[in-house]
This record gives sequence, C-alpha cells and structure tokens, in this order.
Amino acid sequence: MKKIIAMLLIAMLISACTAQENTPEKADVKTELTMGYTTEPEGLDPHRTAAASTFTVTNNIYDTLVGVTPQWEIVPRLAKEWVISDDGMEITFSLRDDVYFHNGRQMTAKDVEYSFTRLKDAESPRARDYENIVKIEVLNDYEIKFITAELDVELLKSFVYPWAAVVPEEEVANLKTEPVGTGAFTLEEWVPQQHLILKRNENYYGDEIKLETVKMVLIPDATGMMAGFQVGDLDIIPLTGDQVTMVEGNENYKIISEPMNAVQIMSLNTKNEYLSNEKVRQAMAMAINKDEVIEASMFGYGAKIGSHLPPTSPDYYDTNNIIEYNPEKAKELLKEAGYENGFEVDMSLPKNYQLHVDAGQVIADQLGRIGIKVNIQLVEWGTWLSEVYGAKNFDTTVVGHTGRLDSYAFLSRYKSDSNDYISLTTGEVDALLEEALKELDENKRKEIYKDIQVILANKLPAIYLQTPHTMLALQKNVEGMKIFPIDFYDYKDVYFTE
Amino acid sequence: MFNYVLDRLKSSIVVLFVVSIITFFVLMIIPGNPAQLILGADATPEAIQELHVAMGLDRPLYQQYFSWLLDLLKLDMGKSYVYGESVTVLIAKSIPVTFSLSIFAMIMAAFIAFLFGMISAIKKDSIADYFSRSIMQLGAAIPSFWIGMVFIVYFGVKLKLFPVSGFIPFEVNFFRFIKSITLPSLVLAIGEIGTLLRIIRSSMLDSLKQDYMDMARVKGLSSFKIYIKYALRGALTAPLTIIGMQFAKLAGGTVVVETIFALPGLGRLVLTAVEHRDIVLLQGLVMFITSTVIIITLIVDISVMFFNPRVKSFQQGDL
Repeated sequence: MKKIIAMLLIAMLISACTAQENTPEKADVKTELTMGYTTEPEGLDPHRTAAASTFTVTNNIYDTLVGVTPQWEIVPRLAKEWVISDDGMEITFSLRDDVYFHNGRQMTAKDVEYSFTRLKDAESPRARDYENIVKIEVLNDYEIKFITAELDVELLKSFVYPWAAVVPEEEVANLKTEPVGTGAFTLEEWVPQQHLILKRNENYYGDEIKLETVKMVLIPDATGMMAGFQVGDLDIIPLTGDQVTMVEGNENYKIISEPMNAVQIMSLNTKNEYLSNEKVRQAMAMAINKDEVIEASMFGYGAKIGSHLPPTSPDYYDTNNIIEYNPEKAKELLKEAGYENGFEVDMSLPKNYQLHVDAGQVIADQLGRIGIKVNIQLVEWGTWLSEVYGAKNFDTTVVGHTGRLDSYAFLSRYKSDSNDYISLTTGEVDALLEEALKELDENKRKEIYKDIQVILANKLPAIYLQTPHTMLALQKNVEGMKIFPIDFYDYKDVYFTE
Repeated sequence: MFNYVLDRLKSSIVVLFVVSIITFFVLMIIPGNPAQLILGADATPEAIQELHVAMGLDRPLYQQYFSWLLDLLKLDMGKSYVYGESVTVLIAKSIPVTFSLSIFAMIMAAFIAFLFGMISAIKKDSIADYFSRSIMQLGAAIPSFWIGMVFIVYFGVKLKLFPVSGFIPFEVNFFRFIKSITLPSLVLAIGEIGTLLRIIRSSMLDSLKQDYMDMARVKGLSSFKIYIKYALRGALTAPLTIIGMQFAKLAGGTVVVETIFALPGLGRLVLTAVEHRDIVLLQGLVMFITSTVIIITLIVDISVMFFNPRVKSFQQGDL
C-alpha cells in the first residue's frame, strides 16, 4: 500500500514538473505598464480643452483620421487613404469599415462629420484653426469630403492633431469624465490626483496591442518620480535635465531623447523706444550666449536656434551663424545705435515655467554686461496670458511656442496684420507667408520658408534661443516607446521584453 | 456653559459668512480671465466671450455671489473644470488622506513632544533638557521638503522599508495604509514637535512651581504620581490648545508633503486648482478649509473649557 502511495506521489510530482515546463515562457512577460506623469489632464474631452496634459492621455482613447510618425510622415489611422483635389481646396477621406466605438457602435462618416462640427463650434478652443473648412460632405458611410474657403496647402496636417478626434454623438455629455472613442485603449478608471488606468481595447481595428493595461500615476514632485523609478514602481518617467546623470550609465535604465517640436524665444516688444531699433535688437542677440542659456535652463539638453522653427521641422534652415555670440561687437552696435551707456527694460517671466524663468535670469545677467539693465518681473500664467500675450503690455519676455506640424502655423504670427504680440510690423514676411500658403510644390515651399527664417534671424522681432529636448527614462525591458512631434504618448506599440 | 457654546457658535457662523464673502470676491478679482485660461492662447476673442457668458461671468458680481452662496448652503459647490466632477465629491475623496495624515502626525508629534517636554521640565538644565531643546530647534528649522526627500531616498529607495509615494486607503489594506502614511506623517510631525515641546516644557515648569506640588511631595507621593497625576494635569490647557491649532493647520491641507509623497489630499487639490485656474474648485476648497479650521477651533475651545473650569467662569464673566 505504502509503495502505491509513494509511486502515485512520484507520478504526481513528475506530471507537475512537466506541466510547468510546458507553460509557455511568454506568460511571464509583463503586460502592465506603469508610467509617472506630473500634470493632471483637464478632463478627457478632446474638443473642450487646450491642455497638453489632456492630449497625452486622450490620444490613446480616441483616434484621428490620420496619424504622424516620429519622422513627421503622415500615415493612415481612421482613414485608409485620402485624395486632395488638384486645386488643393478639397480633401476626401476613405474611412476604414471595421472601426467600432468603445460602446460597441460602428463608426461611420456621419460621426466624423459630427466631430468636426463640434470641434468648430463656439465652445471649442480650437475653432479658429478649422475656420477655413467651410463645408463637410458625407459622400457615403465610409467617405467624407472637407471643402475649404481658401487654399491651405498644409490642410492634411490639421487632421493629425489629437483634438481632431472622432467622438460618438450619443456620449458627448460625459466625455470629460467618461471618454468613449475608437482608440487602442479604453478608460478603466480615473481617480483624481492619484492615477488613471487605461485598458486594452479588445475590439481595436489595428494590430494586436501587447500591453493589457497602462497605469498613469500622478507624481507631482521630481524627486518622488525618480525614487519611484529607481525602486521599479514606474516603468517610464519623464526626465528633467538635472536628473539625467542619475539614470545615465546605469545598465538597468534607458533614456530616449528627442528635440521637442517647439522653440523657446525671448520676445521683444518693438513698440518700445529702445527695442524698436533693429541695431539694438541685434546687439542684444549678440550679447546672449545661448549655450549658457541652454546649460542653465535644460542642463545642456537643448539645440541652439537662430530663427522661429525647430531643427526637427522638415522646413528648418540653420540660421545660427547669421548673428553669432560676440559681446564686444554688441557693445559697438549699441554705440552705433546711440545707446553707448545702455538703457533699462523690463522682462516678464511666467513663473510657472521654470525653464523660461531660468533662461530669463541668465539672459538678464548677460545683457547687463553690455550695459542693458533688465528688470525681471515674475508673473502668474494667467497674468502673462492677459497682460503680455493679450494686451501686449510688456518690454521683453521669455516663453515657448509649441507643437504644430506645419510651418505656416508656427510662422503666421509674424504677419504685420496678425495682431500677435510679436508680429513683424515692418511687413518683410507678409508676401512670403501668403505665397507659402498657396505654393503646392513642396520644394519651392521649403525655399520660401527658408527666406522667412533668414529674415527673422536678421530682423529679430524675438531672439531665438533653443529647442529643448523631451526626455523619457525607461526600465531596460520596455520597448516601443517613441517621442512624437506632437505632445502625446502612444502606448499601442509599447511592450516588455521580459 | 450652554450660553458660552451658543455664543461661540453664533460668532463662528458670522466668521464663516465673512469668509465666504472674502473667498468669493478675492478669487473673482485675481488677474487672468478664467475663460481665456481654459481656452488657451489660440482661442478667438469671440470664443472667449462666449465661454465667459456660458460660465455666468458676465453677471454682476453680487448676483454671482448670492447664487454661489445659495448653492453652497445646499452643499452644492459646483463642478470642477479640471475634473468635470462635483467639487463636493472631490473634497470628500481628499478628506481621508489629509485627515489620516494630520491625525497620525499629531499623535506622533504629541507623543514625542510630551515625552521630551516632560523630561526637559523635570530635569531642567540637564543634558537631557539641552538635548531635547536642540532637537526641537532642529525640527523647526529644517524645511519639510528636504526631510521628505531624504526620507524617500533613504527609507524608500535604499532600505525599501516604505513605499516612495502614493496613498493606499485603509479599507483596501490596513497594513499598507499605515506604511503609506508613516513617512509623510513623520515629516509633518517633525515640523510640529518644536512648538509643542516648548509649550509643554514651560507649562510643566509652571505647574511644578505651584504650591500643591510641595504639598504632594510632603505627602510622600511617588514621583510618577506627582508628575503625571498632578503636574501634567495642571499643565494640559496650553498644549491642548496648541495641538488643536496645529491639527487645524494640518487638516487644511499640507501642500508640500502631499506633493513630495504624491498623496491625493486637500493640499494637492488646492495646488491643482490654482495651477489650472479652476476657480470653482478653489472657492469650494477655501470655504471647506476655513470652515474646518473654524470648527476645530470651536471644538478645542469647548473641550479646553471642560478640562479647565477656570476658563468657563472667566468666559461667563464671573471673575
């Protein structure tokens, strides 16, 4: 009897062992990603906010008609293909016929029409960007045509932005807290001030998504974020320049870093007595050591610029050597302009943005060395928007301009009649901008943008400082995370290797 | 006694009313148009104007105030712009975090402060006295964000004894709840120990000088009984008031510690509201926090009166 029991036990043991061996190794691979973030989204309705913190999340829940790669290529998303009419005034999208909203209903061209109508209505912060689309025609369930009032050669790019998302009409009342889209992930829960959990959409039309859940944990403090990463609670964190040394060289971690699609500039009010003088502006540009600015504000993780386009832009032209750092020559120029003994200007800095405050302080010191006394005033972001940006009540300020795919959107503020806080009032770029918007030939367009960049680098309605880098720190087993030219994260291609 | 409570209640209500007026109007006149902030730099002036009207910001201020006050009385503080959720719900969710932090911190602070405060007083001018007084100086001088970071790096990252950040509700797992609030509570406690210790020490010294202490010694009571039963009891009034005030301060939200440890409490909520210019949320929070402080002060005042009859008669004007 005992023998039989013993043999049974052995048999059981063996079968248990083999069962374990048969379990595929794949099951051990992690499928739950945890990422830290610092700023709470302003609701999860993409048509009702201008906050970048919202789009980093919503881009995974909603889809747009077309997408963009890290290399700035426009790729199909909800639309399989598109045709732009010969005159460039119309664009027709053919939609996929296998797309379902998270609530189970199939998406059709009607939903696209509804979404863009909503994006253009009075409550939408982005209404102005889509003013040019005057008519939307639903051709059939899977074809839709957009018609513009005026030629805009960059029209296709306006369908990439995460706010151009397609939403189901029946759910719009609660999108802010209960988002329903067609995207790769659905919202599992959002606990204010704690975390946000995204769950894989099992009915997603695209390729298989490897992650089961993405947990975004709100950690407002940089030390706490780094600590969470070091103990392994967090798989991905946004990284600031000063923290790079803590991650660099450690074989357990990886860093990915790309220049942001943004420019940091020191805007000048050309209505100011001194700043209206072109020589003074050039002298100031020569007195500023941009490398020092980048070192102080981004710990070196930025790229110097000479004009108003980031180096990542396909239309970028290197204007860095048009006005080079030369404090001696700057003093001479000031003398020529009749300000040998210098002058005083104010500098309003948005205090919520440390990057700009740090840069502004270094600049103030550098300008002081050629006799220009800069009085720094720290202002709240709300005050900055209404006083500096709105009322144009400032001498100088340091701020960032971000995130568009087309150069026209970046540069149109310099039109003399744009009424922007830093328009180039003397009008040298007006005709060129008009031309750029109508030029269908890509190479010719590039030439025009080059001319505009060179003019700006000489005329200096603002002093162009840097394109800061976006940096992410990853645990070494995380693959597939990318940085895009638009401020959002995309989790659908992310996976773990172990 | 009853009259006193009634008087204090009446004055509290008046204070609350005044607070509501200040809260509303100050937040209304701070620079920055909420509509512009929500819509961002790229919005058209027409869109901003339209949202301005939709938010009811074009009505006269007094009208806005009264409709806000009426809703407030119904405990309806409006919907947060950032979260799209009712402000009342958001506050209710933050309370357990901040309150458990405050309670824990005050228990720790009181325990340490009483222990060292009494030793200091009893062994006045001894090494123990100097030691505890320097500790108290140190605790008051070191900024909490620094201690917080040191704790995170040492206890969280190096020793892995405590989680580095985040909050676990006690109904989820009691043990992990305790672990998640130990470090932040300790940081808060360190900031409060100094003041409390000083008050306990001086109150103890004062009460040790009283005649009845000599009497007790003459009677030959054990020193334990003398110190705990007589000296400490007589010295309780001032520390209790301080503890109440400190608790009220912590319960109003502890922005720095909640930020460093990523705890979803009232302080973080205030910060989020300020960052995003969520005026509705901010108004609700300020009202809630000031009411909490007023109510806690009220409770402390009344309980002190229970402990110390002299206060009662003084308040009634019998002296």
